[in-house]
Amino acid sequence: MISTGLFPYVLGLSAFLFTVGAAGVLIRRNPLVVFMCIELMLNAANVALVAYGRFLNSQEGQIFAFMVIVVAAAEVVVGLAIITQIFRLGRELDVDDISELSE
Amino acid sequence: MNVLVAVAMALAAISSLGVVLSRQTIYSALSLVVTLAMVAVLFLLLNAQFLFAVQLIIYAGAVMVLFVFIIALLNPEAEDRPALDWRAFIGLAAVAAVTILVFVAAGNGITYNNNGFRALALQSACNTLNAGPCDPYHTFSFPVDAVNAAGNVQTVAGQLFTTYLLPFEITSLLLLVAIIGAVYLTRRAVRP
Repeated sequence: MISTGLFPYVLGLSAFLFTVGAAGVLIRRNPLVVFMCIELMLNAANVALVAYGRFLNSQEGQIFAFMVIVVAAAEVVVGLAIITQIFRLGRELDVDDISELSE
Repeated sequence: MNVLVAVAMALAAISSLGVVLSRQTIYSALSLVVTLAMVAVLFLLLNAQFLFAVQLIIYAGAVMVLFVFIIALLNPEAEDRPALDWRAFIGLAAVAAVTILVFVAAGNGITYNNNGFRALALQSACNTLNAGPCDPYHTFSFPVDAVNAAGNVQTVAGQLFTTYLLPFEITSLLLLVAIIGAVYLTRRAVRP
């Protein structure tokens, strides 16, 4: 059981994980790593949800974290399918090169 | 117990840095596995036993195996350099600013109780008045036994299948759409 005094630290870890994930999305070029960083951000959100649920004596945070996990799993499946298709087209795996929609 | 929390949080932070800073994609994936496992430990310490199991089974089990499988399949090259131009720097500065803001807010105890007082202010006032046990983070008046039972499979399922039944069922639709989408995306083109 975690003590309530640790609540700011858990929130701080959540913020840190989110920052690292966002930084990774911004500076990394490999779409696989970008997806991993998105997973990192989703996990940071989960930590915040569960921590708030714990320290506000509420169960809802865990329910929403569960939903987030499901959505993350679905997102990974579709994203990795798109990445394998891009690779199959003989393209280099670089998010800066995949920009047809913005041209 | 606090030592365990500190170790789990430190390992999560360090391995999350490993995700971003590793040049090889597989090292990023393995660092992410450590991060997810440590987040699972935090879930356990935060009274979310069901989510602990789900995190280990779904994330460390299914999602990361999928990632490692795709990495082995595609065999991506190591990145020679990160994409650091002025846009990335602006984004990083914004993200860092928001994070520092959250740190400051969390350190000040931004949680409000149901009277609208900030928890930390209430704590200090309570300590000054010396008026019995102070627990300002606990805004709802659930008994301690109920809180200790919270997070196990029974209580989570009890809410998931009653109050949140509609979102839960919509989740199944989402998974179905994801499966169909993945199959559609990765199929080979049928020659006419």
